[in-house]
Amino acid sequence: MGRTKKRLVSVVGLLVAVLFAFPIYWMVTTALKPANQLLSDSYDLVPLGVTFQHFVDGVSKQGFLNSLQNSLIVALAAVAFALVAGLLAAVPLARLRFRGRKGFLLLVLVAQMAPFEALLIPMFLMIRSFDLLNALPGLILVYFAAALPFTAWTLRGFVKGIPVDLEEAAMVDGCGRWAAFRRVTLPLLGPGLVATSVFSFVTAWNEFLYALTFMQDPGNVTLPVWLSSFVSVFGTDWGGAMAASTVFTVPVLVFFLFVQRNLVSGATAGAVKG
Amino acid sequence: MSVTTKAAVPAGTTPPAPRSTVSDGGSGIGRLVRRLFSQRTLPYLLLLPATATILVMLGWPVLSVVLTSFQKLDLGELVSGRVVWNGLANYQSILTDSAFWQDALRTVLFTAACVVCTVGGGLVVALLMKHVHGWVRVVLQLALVLAWAMPILAATTVFQWMFDQNYGILNKTLVELGFTGFHHYSWFQTGLSTMTVIVILITWQGIPFVAFTLYAGVLGVPTDLYEAAGLDGASSWQTFRSVTWTALRPLVNVVTFLSLLWDFKVFTQVWAIRQGGPDGGSQTLPTLQYLKGIATSHFGAAAAVSVIMILALVVLTAQNLRLMLRTEEVD
Repeated sequence: MGRTKKRLVSVVGLLVAVLFAFPIYWMVTTALKPANQLLSDSYDLVPLGVTFQHFVDGVSKQGFLNSLQNSLIVALAAVAFALVAGLLAAVPLARLRFRGRKGFLLLVLVAQMAPFEALLIPMFLMIRSFDLLNALPGLILVYFAAALPFTAWTLRGFVKGIPVDLEEAAMVDGCGRWAAFRRVTLPLLGPGLVATSVFSFVTAWNEFLYALTFMQDPGNVTLPVWLSSFVSVFGTDWGGAMAASTVFTVPVLVFFLFVQRNLVSGATAGAVKG
Repeated sequence: MSVTTKAAVPAGTTPPAPRSTVSDGGSGIGRLVRRLFSQRTLPYLLLLPATATILVMLGWPVLSVVLTSFQKLDLGELVSGRVVWNGLANYQSILTDSAFWQDALRTVLFTAACVVCTVGGGLVVALLMKHVHGWVRVVLQLALVLAWAMPILAATTVFQWMFDQNYGILNKTLVELGFTGFHHYSWFQTGLSTMTVIVILITWQGIPFVAFTLYAGVLGVPTDLYEAAGLDGASSWQTFRSVTWTALRPLVNVVTFLSLLWDFKVFTQVWAIRQGGPDGGSQTLPTLQYLKGIATSHFGAAAAVSVIMILALVVLTAQNLRLMLRTEEVD
C-alpha cells in the first residue's frame, strides 16, 4: 500500500475511533457541564465550565443509592454462586472419567443456548410460585442460572489447560488428591476465575428484562430499571441522567480495561474453534 | 486459551511441601474427603448443584412455556391456581391477528438491519485495524473497548440524549452542517425513525465484538498468501476477495449467526427507548411478549408468542449448524 493511501486509511480509522468514543465523551462532558449550558441552542462540543453538581444531584436522587446497592448485591451473589457450582462441575468434566460424562457435557453445552428472553413467562410463574417476586433472591436465582452454563463450560476449558502432570507430581510428593487440587490447580485457575466472573458480572449488571418484570416495588429495583425510569420521570434533567449513567458505567469500564486482553483472546479463541 | 497456557508453568510453583501433607492425612476431614474421592459417586456429587440448577431453572421453564401456551392463563386463573386447557386457542388468536404479523415482520426486518450493519461495519473496522498506522490502531481499539464496555442502559440513555429533539447534539450538528430541516426534528415521531435510532444504537454496541473477532481472523491469514497475490499482480480488491475474504468466511458466518441470535431477542434497548411506541410503531416480538404477558396478564397468549420466538431461534440454530458442518466437510 502506498504511503498516501495508508495516511488516508489512518485518517478514516481516527474518524471511526471518534465515532465510537463520542457517546462516552458526550456522557461525561454532559455530566460535568453547568446546568445553564445544557439546554441551550449554542453549538458546544467542548464544555466551557465544569461542575460536579449533577453528580451530587444524581446520586442523591430518590432511589439511586438503593438501586446501586441492589445491583451490586444481585450481580455479586449470582457470580459467586455460578463460580462455586461451575467450578464443582468443571473439575469432573475436565479431569475425571465416569459413566455419563458425555451426557453432562452435552447438557452444559445445550444449556448455554437457552433463550432466556423467551422464557420470561415461565420464569415469572416459577419465581412467583417460589414466592420470590419482588425480592432480590428471585433475581439472583435467575442470573445464577443464566451465568452457570457458560461459567462451567469456560472453567472446564481452563482446568483442562492445566497439565495434569502438575497435580500428579504433587501426589507423588505425598499430597492427597484434594490437597493437590487445592495447592496446585486452584491457584493456577486464577485468570480463568477472574475472566469468567467478569463476564457473569457484566451480564447481570446489564440485565433489564427480568429486573423490570420481577421488581415491582421501587425500593427493590436495580440500576438499569432505575435509570430507565429516571429518563422518563426527569425528562429534561440530562445532566443528572448522564451523571448517573457515568456512575453506572465506571465499574464495568474498570473491569473491561483490567481483563481486556483475556476478553479479546477468549472471544476469538472460541470463535476460531467455531 | 492463551491465558491458561501462559499461566500453566510459572517458575515459582513447586509441588507443596511434605509437611502439610502429613497434617492433611492425619485430620479426620482429610480422610473423609479422600474416601469420597475414592468412591465412584464423587463425579456425580460434584455435578449435582450445576445439574440440578440447569434442570430446574432452564429445563423446567422450557417445558413449562410450551404447556402454558396451551392454557388459558389470565389474572383470574393465576390467582385461583386453576389450570384451564384451551388447546390451540392462543395460537389461533395470535396467528389470525394482523397486528402480530406486523410485529413479526418488523422484528425480522429489524434483526436483518442490525445484523447487516453490525457484521458489515465490523468487517470494515477489522480491515481498518489492519491497515492503519500502529498508534491509530491503539486509539481505535481503545475506542472500541470503551463502546463495548458501556452498560446497555447507560448507552441507551446517552443515545436518547444525543437524539433529543430540542437540545440533542445530533440535530445541532446536522443543522450546523447545513441540513436545516433537522432543526428540532423529532427522531421518535414515527415508528420507522424510532427503529432507525435503535438499529444505530445496537450496531454501535455490536461492532466492537465483531471487529475484534474478525481482526483476529485477519491476523491469522498467512502473509505469504498476500505476497503471492502481489507477485501475481492482483489489485487490492482482488487480493481482498481471493485471500482475505476466503480466509475470513467461516468467522464471518459465526459472527453473523451470533448477531442473528442476539438481535432477534433484543428487549432492553427497544423497551427503554419508547416502550414499543409511538403507537406500537417500534413493537417487536420480545416487547409484545412482555406487553401481553406481564403488562396485561395474558400469560397463556404471551407464552404462545414465546414458543413462536423459540421455534424461530431453533430454526436459525439448526440452519447454522448445518452451514457449519457443510463448510467443515468442504474444508
